Amino acid sequence: MLKKEQNDLVTQTGPGTPMGDLFRAYWLPILLSEELPENDCPPVRVKVLSERMIAFRDSEGKLGLIDEFCAHRGVSLWFGRNEECGLRCPYHGWKFDTTGQCVDVPSEPEESGYAKKIKLKNYPLIEKGGVLWTYMGPAETTPPEPEWEFATVPLNQSFTSKRLQENNWLQAMEGGIDSSHVSFLHRGDLNNDPLFKGAAGNKYNLADSKPVFEVVEAPGGLYIGARRNAEDGKFYWRITPWVMPCFTMVPPRGDHPIHGHFWVPIDDETCTAWSFDYHPTRPLTDTERQAMKDGKGIHVRYVPGTYRPLANKDNDYLIDREAQKAGRTYSGVEGIGMQDASLQESMGPICDRTKENLVGTDNGIIMARHRLMRAAKALHEKGVLPPGRTVDDMKVRSAAVILPPDQHYKEAAKEALIAKVGVKQTSV
Amino acid sequence: MLLSESARVTTAQEARFRIQTPNSKPRAVKVIALDSEAARLVDEISKQPWNGAAFFKSLSFEQSGGDNVKAWLNDLAGHTSDLVGEVANADCVVVIAGAGEDAASVSVIAELCNHYHKTLVALVVPQGSYDQDTVDRSLKALRPHAKMLVIAHERDYIEAMLTALRA
Repeated sequence: MLKKEQNDLVTQTGPGTPMGDLFRAYWLPILLSEELPENDCPPVRVKVLSERMIAFRDSEGKLGLIDEFCAHRGVSLWFGRNEECGLRCPYHGWKFDTTGQCVDVPSEPEESGYAKKIKLKNYPLIEKGGVLWTYMGPAETTPPEPEWEFATVPLNQSFTSKRLQENNWLQAMEGGIDSSHVSFLHRGDLNNDPLFKGAAGNKYNLADSKPVFEVVEAPGGLYIGARRNAEDGKFYWRITPWVMPCFTMVPPRGDHPIHGHFWVPIDDETCTAWSFDYHPTRPLTDTERQAMKDGKGIHVRYVPGTYRPLANKDNDYLIDREAQKAGRTYSGVEGIGMQDASLQESMGPICDRTKENLVGTDNGIIMARHRLMRAAKALHEKGVLPPGRTVDDMKVRSAAVILPPDQHYKEAAKEALIAKVGVKQTSV
Repeated sequence: MLLSESARVTTAQEARFRIQTPNSKPRAVKVIALDSEAARLVDEISKQPWNGAAFFKSLSFEQSGGDNVKAWLNDLAGHTSDLVGEVANADCVVVIAGAGEDAASVSVIAELCNHYHKTLVALVVPQGSYDQDTVDRSLKALRPHAKMLVIAHERDYIEAMLTALRA
């Protein structure tokens, strides 16, 4: 349960809000590289943290992320002509470069220098791992560039997708650190989904729907360990890292690729759910990659030409009551990603946490909220930079291990929780 | 195009029609300090306004033969309570242990929680400049018994957790 003012604090990420300031302390994924595939390609509208922008790749391949609207009469530059190292407004021909600097006002004499006095707000936009990232905070506190393992392995070892999720970022992110729902919501998929099935660890998930949890603080966020009984008195641990503010990883299964998410606010009522899969030591197989494109695992199929899931609220998520009854899916919705999204969207655009009834096993969620609120206030009121910004914080991995009962996963699986080049994930 | 039922009911506008009647009754959360360091914390935390949470410290146990254990808690006013009665009437039991302190009494509390089907949440609170071995000792003592085990580095986290649990 959160009080209304606390719920407002953690869910509002627009300019000037404490949580908005917090998000603006990190590099955030905002576009797939495929959305700006070549020089002078069509520009793309982007809304992030309640700010509307236009992204484009100019004639020399430079990336630009600038205010969406022309400084002249407020026309959307989405209609712009991307040519000769700039984006030209089709209304009166004003032209802007990738920094937002106006470089041409055709109606004014070039010698007047009028164009130099016009500049749209811009943010840096960089490309890494098939993803375009922006940092929307003060230049003087720019953190190191993204070093998440999924974004640094060779491109043939990773697959990243994104989907529109029509609810506030926090209720989506909280699903990522709530390990206990897997044994219910996704149980139909553990033995069927090509990116999950066959792992030795699945049997522990299916046999034990009441895991025991241990939550410990990590420098950049939390580790949430979910413990289930294994053979010979040992424990099967699934360890989920959460790095502030919105990065989570799902513990691996067998030799399947590892996966995880970013939940990036579009505005307070929608977010982008980023889903990545990668293998630290080998290329993804054609079968794996095709399964991801087909919406298996944590990915989804799209409405053609969009990043909106094909199963969405407008078609009641294509719910199949027969499949639900037969146990092929637990909720009747197909696909792990949409099983999560459908339920999270059903909470409403911003979940009313004044009415929820958390239980002791929700402590991962409770602690994440606590850390977010504390960090947001410290940054907003005292300028204290939040955790989760260092390269070490980003070099994190999820893990699945079997340990003797007297060992603490944070120590016993310490090396498994660090991403290392050329070292395979620790999995069961 | 007509909106689907899911599209219609998930709008902010529709959220206004959610039933506002409380969806839960007050719950009984029992917070028990397992050692003197934890007792100091519990004493401070108990001074906040709570929704009926009960705070205890200074456990004492007496083995009376067989499996029969008599155990007592002291509430903050110094009154002695029967552990069995408190657990039996709890919705959730939270035990707090100072890192490295003697947490052996948790086994008795856990036994009662099992008997009465109550969730046991355990918090380990490291003190000052602690070392990992100290924390590990506490975790090891608590792990077999707790449904949820948390290392809580700050007092304000304990307060946040109790608030979240409507304690």
